[in-house]
Amino acid sequence: MFRVTRRPIVVATLLRAVRDPAAGAVVTFLGTTRNENAGRRVVRLEYEAFHRMAEREMKALAATAARRWALRKVAMVHRIGVVPVGEASVAIAASAAHRAEAFTACHWLIDRLKEIVPIWKREHFRGGQVWIGAQQGTPDTRGRAASGRTATRGRRRRPVDR
Amino acid sequence: MRVRLRFFAALREQMGARGERTLKPGATVEILWRSLVAERPELAAVPIRFAVNETYVEGSHRLADGDEVAFFPPVSGGR
Repeated sequence: MFRVTRRPIVVATLLRAVRDPAAGAVVTFLGTTRNENAGRRVVRLEYEAFHRMAEREMKALAATAARRWALRKVAMVHRIGVVPVGEASVAIAASAAHRAEAFTACHWLIDRLKEIVPIWKREHFRGGQVWIGAQQGTPDTRGRAASGRTATRGRRRRPVDR
Repeated sequence: MRVRLRFFAALREQMGARGERTLKPGATVEILWRSLVAERPELAAVPIRFAVNETYVEGSHRLADGDEVAFFPPVSGGR
């Protein structure tokens, strides 16, 4: 199960998708909207995806993880559109024979998802909004920041090697 | 040859979601990107990644007629 959706994430659906009689462990990760970032009061996040490519990249990551850690099953769901404070924007579930593999794989999957799955986040905070890039730092004050409300930030990255 | 363009996130707000360009045969993604930057110099500051037909490629990737080229600012971050 690899999905980009506008609806709230239902974790039970992912748990069902990774259920497996040979699994002795299921690990889940949820990424949720936090009410603060870089000293700003966050009121909501808004996500945008290159829908089909995002689903395909998630599937490819899961296939790699499944080989590397001998996982039984993997499920990944990313919500797009507005995600209010406290709600999940991303969910990953991995089942494996033993917990160590499931934990490690889940950690690796969320890190890689953040690096390569084409999904972008716009943070709406008190007094403005900003597109969040891969780097957590001070907003870039060039470009759109000139409008006074929107800034774009992120570090220069080489195209991903894969 | 003709290629279709897709833009996302901050780049979409500057360029619109979709576009089209005519290029000389053999043109690479990098050549296409430089031509867009020439039209809009403020884009030079944007860190960018490319995908052709929904697969990540390097700037040196040669385009073919009908390709869909997507331009990505960095993805969503978080620690």
